[in-house]
This record gives sequence, C-alpha cells and structure tokens, in this order.
Amino acid sequence: MAEVGPFGGPWLAPWQRACARLADAGYGADVPEAFRRAGPAIAAAVGPEPAIDLAAHVSAVAIKAGPPAAALFAGAAVAAAQRIGDGPRFRRWASLVQRLAATAPESVVPVLARTDALLAGLDVSALDSWILAGLRAGGADPERRRAFFAGETPESGRLLAREMAETGFGDVERRMRAWFTALWGIRLPIREALPGRPDGARRRVGFAPGIVTVPATFPGFRGPRAEDLFRAALAHVGAHMTFGGPRFPVGKLKPLQIAAVSLIEDARVEHLAMRQLPGLARLWLPFHVAPASGALTAPGLLARLARALIDPEFEDIDGWVRKGRDLFFAARDRWDDPGISRAIGNLLGNDLGQMRVQFNPRTHVVEPPYRDDNTGLWDYGDDAPAETLETELLVDAIRLVQAEAEGGRTEADRDAGRAAPARDAAPQEALPVARLPEWDWQACRLRPDWVTVLEAAPARGRPRFVTEALDRHAGTAARIDALVRAARVGRAERLRRRAEGETLDLDAAIGAVADLRGGLAPDPRVYQASARRRRDLTVSLILDASQSTADRAPEGPGTVLDLECDAAALFGHAMAALGDPFEMFAFDSDGREAVRVYPVKRYGEPFGPAAAAALAGLAPGRSTRLGAALRHAGAGLARQRTHRRLVLLVTDGEPSDVDCPDPRYLAEDARHAVMELRRAGIDVFCLALGPRNADPLTRIFGPRGFVVLPRIAALPERLPALYFRLAR
Amino acid sequence: MTLDAYRIAKEPYYRPSGGEIALFEAAHAHRLPVMLKGPTGCGKTRFVEHMAWRLGKPLVTVSCHEDMTASDLVGRFLLEPAGTVWADGPLTLAVRHGAICYLDEIVEARQDTTVVIHALTDDRRILPLEKKGELVRAHPDFHLVISYNPGYQSVLKDLKESTKQRFVALDFGWPDPAVEAEIVAAESGAAPALAARLVDIARRSRNLRGQGLEEGASTRMLIHAAKLMARGVPLGEACRIALILPMTDDPDLRDALAHVVAAAG
Repeated sequence: MAEVGPFGGPWLAPWQRACARLADAGYGADVPEAFRRAGPAIAAAVGPEPAIDLAAHVSAVAIKAGPPAAALFAGAAVAAAQRIGDGPRFRRWASLVQRLAATAPESVVPVLARTDALLAGLDVSALDSWILAGLRAGGADPERRRAFFAGETPESGRLLAREMAETGFGDVERRMRAWFTALWGIRLPIREALPGRPDGARRRVGFAPGIVTVPATFPGFRGPRAEDLFRAALAHVGAHMTFGGPRFPVGKLKPLQIAAVSLIEDARVEHLAMRQLPGLARLWLPFHVAPASGALTAPGLLARLARALIDPEFEDIDGWVRKGRDLFFAARDRWDDPGISRAIGNLLGNDLGQMRVQFNPRTHVVEPPYRDDNTGLWDYGDDAPAETLETELLVDAIRLVQAEAEGGRTEADRDAGRAAPARDAAPQEALPVARLPEWDWQACRLRPDWVTVLEAAPARGRPRFVTEALDRHAGTAARIDALVRAARVGRAERLRRRAEGETLDLDAAIGAVADLRGGLAPDPRVYQASARRRRDLTVSLILDASQSTADRAPEGPGTVLDLECDAAALFGHAMAALGDPFEMFAFDSDGREAVRVYPVKRYGEPFGPAAAAALAGLAPGRSTRLGAALRHAGAGLARQRTHRRLVLLVTDGEPSDVDCPDPRYLAEDARHAVMELRRAGIDVFCLALGPRNADPLTRIFGPRGFVVLPRIAALPERLPALYFRLAR
Repeated sequence: MTLDAYRIAKEPYYRPSGGEIALFEAAHAHRLPVMLKGPTGCGKTRFVEHMAWRLGKPLVTVSCHEDMTASDLVGRFLLEPAGTVWADGPLTLAVRHGAICYLDEIVEARQDTTVVIHALTDDRRILPLEKKGELVRAHPDFHLVISYNPGYQSVLKDLKESTKQRFVALDFGWPDPAVEAEIVAAESGAAPALAARLVDIARRSRNLRGQGLEEGASTRMLIHAAKLMARGVPLGEACRIALILPMTDDPDLRDALAHVVAAAG
C-alpha cells in the first residue's frame, strides 16, 4: 500500500519522520495536520523531496510567526507548488516565506493568504523583490508592513504592478504628459486616481476643472498596448476639454439617460477632434471591440452604440443602436453644439429605459476602456461625487502647481517678526516637490519613486543674520573678501603667438618678418589675444539640519547648526560677490515619505534679507537621509547650464533614518547617489564635521571627495576657503 | 571699393504677417537701429534680406558666435611680406561703404563686441578704430540691424540695458496658421493641404515649449519636411528626420511628438 502514492518506496520513511517531527514539536494539532494533508499534493507537483523538506520550513515559521501562520503556510504551499511546478524554485519560495517570518512575522499571514494570486502574476524572484520592497516600505513598523502586504496601501499595488510588468502610468508618465500637452496645448496636472474611489471612476480616466486623473494601470494591458490605451485616453480627455461645453446640469435625469448623453457627447467631441487630427481614428478604433450581437444589456448596447458612432465599418442590426447612429449622423452639421448630445442622449436614454434592460449605475464601467468616467461632464449640484473628486484632487493640484511654479513660495505670508523658529509648524506647510529613486544594495536595484521630497519654507529668523555673522567673523570675512577680489578680477590672460587674435604679437611679428626677409617660411601665429578667465561654475550647498546638529559645538558658543549657518552666511556672501550662481538648502528626514528640504536661497534669487532670515530660522530635527538630499541637489544642478557643477555638503553625521534599521542601506544609497551625480558630470564634495573615522566617508564620497574638519569652530572660515580651492 | 558682392539681385521670398515692412522702412528712413526679436527659424534673416533687396542696399551679415571679439567685427592688422596691413572687418566695411549690417544673434558674441556698436547707434554715427588710430564716419546708407532671441538665451547672456535701449524692436512670433502654411507651400512647392497639416503639427509641437523643448518646430523645419515629402518621403518619416530628431534627444518627447505626427496624418 505504501508503494503507491507520491511517498512510495524510499520516500515513505522520511515522510513519516517529517510528519512525526511536526506532530511532536508542540505546535498543536493544526500544523501537523495541515502538513500531512498538503504533502501528497505538493509531492505530486514538485516531487517528494521538496515536500518532505518543507517540514523544516514549516517548523521555522511556526516558531517565528506562530502555529496558525505555519498551518496556513502548509496549505498555501499546495497552491504554490502547483503554480511553480518545479522543485528548486519551490524551495526558494519556501525559504522566502521562512525569511519573511524571521524579519516580519506579522506579514506572513497576509502574504500567504494571497499566495495564489501573487504567484499567478509573479515568478519567485519577482515575489522576492516585491517582499523586499514591502519590508523597506514598512521599515520598522509592523502595522505598516502588514498593511502593505495585505494590499491596503496604494503603494503596494503599484509596486506589485511593477513587478508583474504591467505598464503603470508612472512608467510612461513623462511621455504621456508631453503627448497631452503637445496635442492639446493643455498644461494640467495628471494624477493617478486615488484608491478609495468607486470602480467606474478608478478604472477610467477622469477630469475636473484643473486636473486630469488616470488609473494607475489598466489591468490586462501591457507594454505598447497599455501605452496606446493611456495615449488614447488622454487624447479623449483633451477632446472633451477642447470641444466640450459647460458641464451639463444633472437635473432630473435618470442614470441611463446620463450614460446615453455622455456617450453621445464622447462621440461628438471625438468627431470634432478627428476633423483636426484624422490620425486619432487609428488610435481610438482598435479599442472598440463590441460585437454586433449578444445579450441585450445596457452596458452591451452602450458599447455597441459607442462603436457604431465612430467605426464606419461597423454594422449593427439592433434597432436602438441604428436609431442612435442615424440621429447622431443626421445632426452632423450641428456637432459644434453640445446641446445635440443632450437632446439625442435623452431620447436614447428614454428608449433604453422602456426596453427594461439591466443597468446598475454603481458598478457600471464605461466601455471602451479609453473613455473617461463621465463625471467631468456633469454638474451634480452640491453634494455629489464629482465635487469630492474635485476637492480631493484640487488640493493636490494646487500644491503641485505651486511647487512647479519656480519660486512660488508664500513665505511673505508668514509673520516676519516671529522670533523663535517654530519647526513644529513646518510639516503642515511642507509640499511634495519630487519623488526620487533610492538604491537598495541588497536587491541591487534602484527603486524608482521611492522617496518623497517635501519642501518647507524655513521659519523666518532675523533678516540681519548675515550681517551679524559677518561681524562675528570679521577677520575671516576680510580674508574672504580678498579672495573674492582676486578671483573676480579673473586675471585677463594674454595669449601670445596665436593664429588668430585681436592685435599683432609684436615679438612674433618681428620674428616672422625676419624669417620672411631671410627667405624662411614664417610662423603664421603672429597674433595675440586676451582672454578673461570666465568663471563657469554653479554650486548647490546642502546643510545637514538633522537632530545631531543640535549638539553644542565642542569649542564654540553655539550648536553645530549655528556654526553651519554662520559658515553658510559667509559662503553666501562670498558667492554673491563672486557672481557664481548658487543655491542653498537645509534638509532633514523622517522616513522615506518625508525628506524635508528647507530652501534658503534658490538659483536666481538674491542672497539678501530673505535668505538671511531663512538661514537664521533653521532649526535642528529628525534624521539624515543623505542620498535623497544629494539627488535633490543634483536634479536642480542638472538644469543649470554652467560647465562645472558642484554639490557641497556640510554634515556632522552619517546617513540614518527612522525607517532604516540596516545602517548600511542608506550609506550604500548615498554612495550610489554620489556615483549617479558624478556620472552626470556633477562634482560632489563633503565637509564632515567633528573628529571621526574616515572609512565610511571614503566609501561614500571616494578618497578625494571629502575633508574631515575635526575642529568644528573652524567651519565658517574653512567652507568659503574650500570653495575657492575647489572652484579654481 | 563697392559692395556689389553684397547686393541681393533676386527678390527673396517674404510673406509679411503684419506691418513689419512699413515699420522697417520708416526706421530705415531715419537709420534707426533695429532689433529683430523672435524664435529661431521664424524668418528674421529672410526678412532682413528681403528688406535689403527692397531698399536696394547691400547687406553685410555677421553670424555672431561665442568666440567672436570686437576685432572680428572691426578689423585687424595682417602681416604681409612688406609689413603690416590693416584689413577692415565686416562692420567697418558696412560703415565705410554704406550697407545694412545685420548682426545675427548678437548676444552670443563676447561682451566687448556690443560696446563697439554704441557710437554707431546714436547720432554720432562713428566707429573709432583704436588700433589703427582712425575715426570712421558712417556712410549715409549705413544701417545697423541685430537679431536677438530672448527665449533661447540664458540669464547670463542678455543684452546690456544700455545696448537694448538704442534700438527699435520688431517682434517676430510664429505667423498665423494660414500665413505660415502659405509660406511653407511657397517655399517648398507643397500642396496647400499638406502645408496646412505640417503647420498644424508644428503648432502642437510648440505647445511643448518650456516643457522640455527650447522651441517648437520652426517654419524652416516645416519647409525642410515639405521638401523631403516632395521627393516621396512619407509624412511620418519626413517629420521624424526634419522636425523631431533635430529638435530633441529626449526619448519621451520624441515618442510624444511622433504620435502627434501620427494623429495629424
């Protein structure tokens, strides 16, 4: 009897031993029972040996995450084995779960509960990568990790879509923005639809005044097809915005009438758009796939009518569809008037109502998929869903626009006389300005859009701060002024013996004439030119304002940050005198969703009282996510046109953040950020404060990329001096 | 010495899109220095050529570049076997013998070059040749015209206020679509419908100005595309090599523009 079944022959004894071990381990009855029931199916799918070896993994999970998780593990292993289908990869999956149990025990159950769905779209290494991403996303917070793995955060879905190689809007966002702007001349924020919205709105594009929303992905569409769908959808929304009229009042219209009017309006604006851009037909038509026959349901008929109105080849026998098409094309000469959509749609909606077809407006999703959710066409009055979309999104949109408008800060609103820097107020005013990637050294990959940079206006301190700092460091300031003068005059150089130049080089000319007279071939380089050495350098100065800068400086009167600010004041003074373009910002971080930057001075702004007040208003707090700050500076410098670009960083610590228990993670990320910048032709140099070990700095910045300043009090003098050395 | 080589014999095609010809003629009557502003490839140079032909004046054109110095405009001593010989630069030539002198993209040149034109642009109308010790009084026909593309210049490269204020300025935007299509058709021989379609593509590409593109597609580029199409190149391909590839290296913008071309055709 033992000869038959998957555990026949030599496998019988090991199998029984494995079952017995689990039964005797004291995990209760469920775990061994689940294992015994799962074993044969697993063995059938991937072979007996991996099935038997699973016992050790189950045991480990039971210890780390508890017996219920272990029992679930054994059960989920059946689905996993059937999905995976071969031994080695099944083993990898099992050890992956075991590893998860060791690092994030609370997350084992949510992951296992979705085993089948996850493995349907991911292979084991992609699953591994998604789990690693979840662990990074959740950091040290078990609840956040659990929410991620249960799919309760939007990010979880987005990263999953990425691993499943579905084309998300984020992947094609730039080209879609460019497409939308170029095609319609409309510059609006395009945002991903928020997760909590109803199905019909979440799965389709939508628009409201001042904003366009798109679904994060169109499930089932990948690669070029997905791109075409995003493109078609944005072309459609743009057609509404270009050719649509004011929003239709909903009034007493029934849902079917609303759907029918919307459909006619869709077709109307598309036809007007195709008059200008006939090629759009090639983009839109492939998505109309409704067959000319089938059950008479409202969604089916609506999709057929939609196709009949745009596809000239499409013949439908249904009377209602034919009526709709005839009415629409009979009004061909009046397509400019949105009123016809209303008139024809009302009629058709009525007919549809009388046909007593099934229609559920709550679950209805517009077809074909590139069409918008129609909420943008209607004015629902006060308490309607469209309004919530607007308010939810407009807040974001306004922020985005503010952030995009350079220098569009509202710092003037703030009370200039406020003395004590109130950093607690800052978080509410922080606006997201960028999403940056981060390097995961364990996964060896750059995680896109991983870190959110928030920009907060620094509290305003004394506008005379720079003047005071210059007074405090009078001796240093005088030395710096001398350096500035020397650098600025820029030593006009005389370039002798040139083939071209402004005047004759007398010596060379005499020599040449002598040669000529002597019958020799003269050297043609007889001119001299003068060239002023042009300064061609842009600098981004980053100040570390993390909590550790609140420490007293060992030799000075103030804190480390005070000294940084003094140094920045002298530096800014020198830079302003030199005329080199520069920016200055401080940063801290509170997890990857909140890397705050406090702009002190932007490119193009003067280094005046506003910058001085910002500098004086800086206050220490939170952590040091160095890589993000470097990339932020790099992004700004990348837009500068000078030949040389330099990031100058003043920091007193090593990279760290609350959500990164692995000390090496942020250091490796910073190192990667430095390499990215250097590849982009941007120099990075670090001034490390306080006596410290140079090894980690060497690892991040390279042997010549930093200088350690053991005596912090010397910073105000050293920073500008260092700049002159670097800028030479 | 006469400037016959600099005379324009055949009428250069120019399609006015406003009162610019009358305005230029008025300015020319008083020899007021003229500044032509506008994006690249919108017809500034062609306009000057047309005006020189219309007024029957020789035209000396200098395309300014980053390494251009005052000597390149004014002239320099050359070394000949017998000794040094002064050679007039293009500006001196125009000043001495009476021509329209067109300095294209003047801000590109080094700062000292803009200063040499100062004495020419007020009622003194003189050009001091310091190195030669000569003061050249401008010929009555001498007229200075410069071009200046404000969008394209960085903040660092801007005309000095003292220079700007010496000029009257004509602003060249993109012509109306119908006019631009007429220009493209006239210059390339393309059918009016095709020219209109190209202009439509260009106008949409100009929507991306400041969103990744320095400028949109210029009229000049459209003429190139239309000429390629006259040789049998299909619309998509002609737009790709005449418009999209020269304009940007950004793959996303190229993709967006290629699809705009596809939508238009």
